[in-house]
Amino acid sequence: MSKKYDIVVVGAGNAGLSAALHCAKEGKKVLLIEQHNLPGGCATSFVRGRFEFEPSLHELCDIGPENDPAEIREMMNEYGVKIDWKMVPDCFRIITKYSDGTPMDVTMPSGKQPFIDKMEYYVPGCKAKMEEYFELLEETMAGTAYISASNGHADSNVLKSKYPNLLRTGSYPVKKVWNAMKIPQKCQDILSTYWGYLGIDMEHMAFIHYCNMFMKYVTRAAYIPAHTSHEISCKMVERLRELGGDVWFNCRAEEFLFSGDRLCGVKTSSGVVDCDYVLANINPDIIYAKMMPKDLIPEREKKLSTARNHNYSARMFTVYVGLNKTAEELGIKDYCIFMADTSDSAQEYKNILGGYEKNNFTIFLCNNITNPEASPEGTSIGFFTSMGNREEWGNLSEEDYVAYKNKYAKKFIKELKDKAGIDIAPYIEEICVATPWTFARYLGTPEGSVYGYETKDWDGMMARMMMLSSDYPIKGLRPIGAAGPRGDGYSSAYVCGKLMARLALKDLKEEAPGDPAANKEGGAQ
Amino acid sequence: MAVNVKIGLIGALDMLKFKNMAKVRENAIQAAPAKEITADYAINNNAKALHPDYVKLVVSEVIDHPGAASKTIVFKAADGGKLPYFRAGQYLSLKMKIGDSVISRPYSISSAPKEALEGKYELTVRTNPGGFAAEYLLSDVKEGDSFTASSPQGNFYYEELRDPAHIVALAGGSGITPFLSMAKAIADGTEDFKLTILFGSRTEEQILFKDELEKLAENEKIEVVHVLSDEEKDGYENGFITAELIRKYAGDDYSVFICGPEAMYRFLEGELAKLGLERKNIRREALGVTKKVAALPDFPEAAKGKTFTLKIRQGAAECEIPASAEEPILVAVERAGITAPSRCRSGECGWCRSKVLSGTYFAPAENENRRWADIKWDYIHPCATFPTSDMVIEVPAEYTPK
Repeated sequence: MSKKYDIVVVGAGNAGLSAALHCAKEGKKVLLIEQHNLPGGCATSFVRGRFEFEPSLHELCDIGPENDPAEIREMMNEYGVKIDWKMVPDCFRIITKYSDGTPMDVTMPSGKQPFIDKMEYYVPGCKAKMEEYFELLEETMAGTAYISASNGHADSNVLKSKYPNLLRTGSYPVKKVWNAMKIPQKCQDILSTYWGYLGIDMEHMAFIHYCNMFMKYVTRAAYIPAHTSHEISCKMVERLRELGGDVWFNCRAEEFLFSGDRLCGVKTSSGVVDCDYVLANINPDIIYAKMMPKDLIPEREKKLSTARNHNYSARMFTVYVGLNKTAEELGIKDYCIFMADTSDSAQEYKNILGGYEKNNFTIFLCNNITNPEASPEGTSIGFFTSMGNREEWGNLSEEDYVAYKNKYAKKFIKELKDKAGIDIAPYIEEICVATPWTFARYLGTPEGSVYGYETKDWDGMMARMMMLSSDYPIKGLRPIGAAGPRGDGYSSAYVCGKLMARLALKDLKEEAPGDPAANKEGGAQ
Repeated sequence: MAVNVKIGLIGALDMLKFKNMAKVRENAIQAAPAKEITADYAINNNAKALHPDYVKLVVSEVIDHPGAASKTIVFKAADGGKLPYFRAGQYLSLKMKIGDSVISRPYSISSAPKEALEGKYELTVRTNPGGFAAEYLLSDVKEGDSFTASSPQGNFYYEELRDPAHIVALAGGSGITPFLSMAKAIADGTEDFKLTILFGSRTEEQILFKDELEKLAENEKIEVVHVLSDEEKDGYENGFITAELIRKYAGDDYSVFICGPEAMYRFLEGELAKLGLERKNIRREALGVTKKVAALPDFPEAAKGKTFTLKIRQGAAECEIPASAEEPILVAVERAGITAPSRCRSGECGWCRSKVLSGTYFAPAENENRRWADIKWDYIHPCATFPTSDMVIEVPAEYTPK
């Protein structure tokens, strides 16, 4: 049986949920299909024994306090999605070595002034430089917001007069900007900490991209939902239903159907669905290779895919622990502890990709520090995150899989004990180790990567944003999600979903100017 | 603006460079050859081999255990190749079409993980009064029959990162199967822990896998203690598995793993309390929902004996079915011939997660494993949920072989 929808959103990950809600809010008849029987993709939860685990969210930026909402809280308000947010107390603690080899163990607070003051404490004499640095960050942020709002048509005179430093720094990687500004090396070492959240080191990450993330975390603080990210995803689905949208779980998109060169429907595992437009939360390489007629793929798209050289970004390795002691009993004081061999992000990224022998990078996070009710009374809950190399997990056999992933898990548990003095091993009541295989199976992303393509060098976020109208020119179909213009990250995915939905509605409006059905509520603002 | 950042020697050209970012990107794209796009990924292939949507099986042999009123069904991969590897203790959800019903049942795999790589799984089924699936499997199944099953599932396995190196297995009847697999895995070197099996049977004659267990117990890491409830005999423990008996064989640092019939679980609750074990040291295999739900103290009086109408939506399809208040919703759905997802049938795995659009229901606390948000927004696990009014439910589809 087939039914007519205006828009089918494939994949109920963050980008898909956001896209579906935006379209439904604009009066479109939306069908959201999801391959699993629950929404969220990474933004989900799972239950083991008496624990409900957060599988992926470290902290969400861009929420801000209720009386001064930042972009994501505003977006959720717009969608009518109310979440019980808990504010993360600090930015991070990092235990590693400074570039000169001396030990580093620093804890950075959120808030601009406290952050600067703490930098001065750790690196005496840096205060003036840090203030100058924040000025640059603020200008860059404001300029980026202007460009984003312009839908790819920013006025260069406005940019030149209001955001000159954005133009001066915009095409450079972070490290170059730091050096040009003569940021003291020790400050650079501390400021490098967040690199893992974008999966690109400071020598290759565009300054604008870094700046946006850094400023959101530091100046607006970070938040987590009280009941895992499944709470967000579930609530978004509920809201979509209220707005008249349909949701089919356990339903896979198998093929996109075309009438001539324009999309006209989706063949799903539950039958064919006719529609005017598809927003697909699927990596474009998979769409092109497996889900649409080859003769409809433009030459430039093939070049784009080759140019990216299947340079898929980081794949995750995570260890989830439910502990039968409280955080206090275990001596856990920090929400989030980064542990690494070096604060040189380019070297550390190389170490990670060196596999088991070289990878000592992990982030340990204890949910109870931010949310005391994250697990039952008398217990605590947390998880380790690291990354994995494509070959080491690609060449592993089924028989060796459990031993290998456990070897890794043991190493990180020991690292927490050796570096932070926190011994959790005797108190593990539940444990689950998820590897690139797990993410590949659950998300279906290439090689289990969770961040799309590396937002690196020529393929950075700003360059992608500037070329929104050139990439993926398939009529009636737009890919959304981490591989999209906004790159990776929880908040980026929500923003990307909304952005691409706006563009889809604009496409529909332009395609059928005389058709009142396509015009209703009017697409992009 | 006080800040004026200039980078290196090219400061004056930075603005141009910024404007050229799109051009630089376009040049990088145009410089690449237009190769055919493929999407074949080693990690994804590995993941799919370990956890396919389903496996297709063919019965290669049926082994009778007359004394124990059981049969072992030996399966091979339908394509003659290997089957997904697993962790000793995991189960398969076996799909069956019996009459008009499309049902599933979880059975622990009794063969060793290594045998999966040779394309073999073994399941053991025991007579179960009124057991719809057991009756079918014991009487109708023969060599050459085809089945579809899930890939191996469940969390009932030894985990070195969590468990002490000594596991005391408390088994009753066909509940021996996960421990048989564990013992085989220890014997062939796949697993490394000490396993003491306290195995409850009625009489010596009714002991399942007696010879096989005896042989496995020759391994120094494996000990098997038979506990006969209906017979006193030399060389056997007599009675039920009690706290005292567990103490006798357990030593100091151990975890208890339990798999057996409902009555054994209920009895052991009191016995285990006497041992003062930490919660992390007691693990139970999920073994279904109670057959007497109306006897649970908080079951709503008004629903007893009632039949309700459920409107089931699945994708764009919709139908109405009758459902007893005293049977899980999943059973009513299956009886109506609807293919619905299910695996553990104990409320634990969440594979059958469905959305209640209207109506009321009863979810027994002992099977409650739902996520916080699912409880809040009326998602249920139909395998462990009972209707207490007419309902409208959205049930997801199940991927089935084409």
